[in-house]
Amino acid sequence: MLLPAIVSIALSLPLLFPGTSPAADVTLSSKTYGLYYQRELPGGEKDRFAPLYEYLSADAANLGGKPLSFHFYGWGRLDLAEESGSGRTSGEIGSLYMEYLHPQGNAQAKLGRFFLTEGVAMDTIDGAFAKATTPVGLGVSLYGGVPVEYSILSGAERADSLYGGRVFFVKAGFAELGASYLKENGSPARLDRELYGGDLWVRVATGVELTGQASYNRTAREMASERYAVRIVPGATVDISAGYEAYEYAGLFRSALNPAFLTTVDNNDKVQSIFAIVDWEFTPGWTVEVAAKHLRHDKADPGDANRGEIGLRHTYGAKKDVAGLSAAFVAADRDENEYREYRAFATYSPDKLRLTLDAIAQQYKRDPIPGIGKKNAYQVVATAGYQLLAALQLSGNLTYTQSPIFEKDYAGLVRLSYDLGTGTGGKK
Amino acid sequence: MMRRAYAANVLGAVLLALLFGCSAISTAPSVPPKHPEDLAAGRVNCLECHENVSTGALKPYGTFRHSRVFINSHGTYTRQGQSLCSSCHAPAFCQTCHAGKEELKPNVKMGDRPDRMAPHRGDYLVAHRIDGRLDPGSCFRCHGNKNDVKCKQCHK
Repeated sequence: MLLPAIVSIALSLPLLFPGTSPAADVTLSSKTYGLYYQRELPGGEKDRFAPLYEYLSADAANLGGKPLSFHFYGWGRLDLAEESGSGRTSGEIGSLYMEYLHPQGNAQAKLGRFFLTEGVAMDTIDGAFAKATTPVGLGVSLYGGVPVEYSILSGAERADSLYGGRVFFVKAGFAELGASYLKENGSPARLDRELYGGDLWVRVATGVELTGQASYNRTAREMASERYAVRIVPGATVDISAGYEAYEYAGLFRSALNPAFLTTVDNNDKVQSIFAIVDWEFTPGWTVEVAAKHLRHDKADPGDANRGEIGLRHTYGAKKDVAGLSAAFVAADRDENEYREYRAFATYSPDKLRLTLDAIAQQYKRDPIPGIGKKNAYQVVATAGYQLLAALQLSGNLTYTQSPIFEKDYAGLVRLSYDLGTGTGGKK
Repeated sequence: MMRRAYAANVLGAVLLALLFGCSAISTAPSVPPKHPEDLAAGRVNCLECHENVSTGALKPYGTFRHSRVFINSHGTYTRQGQSLCSSCHAPAFCQTCHAGKEELKPNVKMGDRPDRMAPHRGDYLVAHRIDGRLDPGSCFRCHGNKNDVKCKQCHK
């Protein structure tokens, strides 16, 4: 049902705005994915899956010559062979909203379904959002509606309401400080969520900035999460960041709907970590990336761990193509948490053709699946695509996986991408 | 008590109207709803064309250079405002990963874009057991209250 609805909405978009001026800026993107894979079950029986996915995105700005825009994003699935998920069809409307962006002062308003990140909020809601910043830098944002949540717990699909706001002060180019609040009234099967948050961005010197964000879960009466970092951007080629993060399971996971966060972890645990990342384009087109993180748990199980990663990226072909190499490791107190990961990829895009190759391998110190006795996993993805028309591209993936779970796993995917835009300018 | 609450609500409404009113008469230009020029391929470096401070986010353009550092910490910036992001990225871009009910992993959808940072590359079914034990907060952001259809096969 959802797939035809999504197609209908996107195709009838121009009719939704009969007063829209010819200057309206419309972008339409359709991506159709046809997958094929086979699963061999114990006993030799084979299941074949062929789900067909359609992803549609439509954005129209400058409606009626006004600073008004419309946004839509959604997907649908239809199974052409065995049932691949929950039911033979599925889908979701991710975004469907109108937005007003005032030409001056950055005042904005949204109405409909949208993904919101504002202070402590990172939620998709069916509702309204408004934000304004005064010329002196004092501002406020408010939102309210019903959260769009999906859970596997029956009867707990979404909470009754979610609302909140943020007050902030911003001094252009120097600082922004915010205090935020979020309240989610739960359904009978879950707990309420009430969060207080603070956020900070300060440029202490040219190319040096401090960021911080913290949230307190009033329902659990615990700090939920904290993140503080210093970032140094001395020019256009070097970017360095280091910082501290922490979260308490009881504070962060208190209102989770996913049982993985309620039953399989010890809710008395706390994670503290320090991290550093370096991104350095040491010569045009060549970038080295180094990242390190130390994780400390209050509980001996899972214990502490260190993660390190080094990578090299090369950009070529007028930035259309990239090749990369990376190696990462996790060294931990407990053997079952240790592994190494290696990856190599490259793309090649001559004229209308696009070829890519991506290989990844993981080595585990101990059998990750007890009883299987296999410590290595690897996957290779090869793709080929051809630009049939200016707005139409046909491409395909072939994936081979070997892992402790899959002895031999072949998967195929065909992708048809259609991107059409009026007016000038970019949108990704 | 009722009169005090009523007065507080009225005062709040007046204050909000004043703030939005002041914002509406501001002469500072807003960030455009769509980037007026075509965007370059690959990771964007705003400094190639821009200087100083961005409209919308009111932060230096250097902050938004799409380096590995920025990509890892982009949430810090979006929580202070999305309008600059929206100038170049449609909602579909964010919701490729930040989905409510997704069945295809981002790296499957973007199999032809190995240069993009996409979570869960390779056979992540095995590796997630370790990442989930060591740093479950990184899973929670996307799978705590939504997008847990795949989780239910084991976590019941």
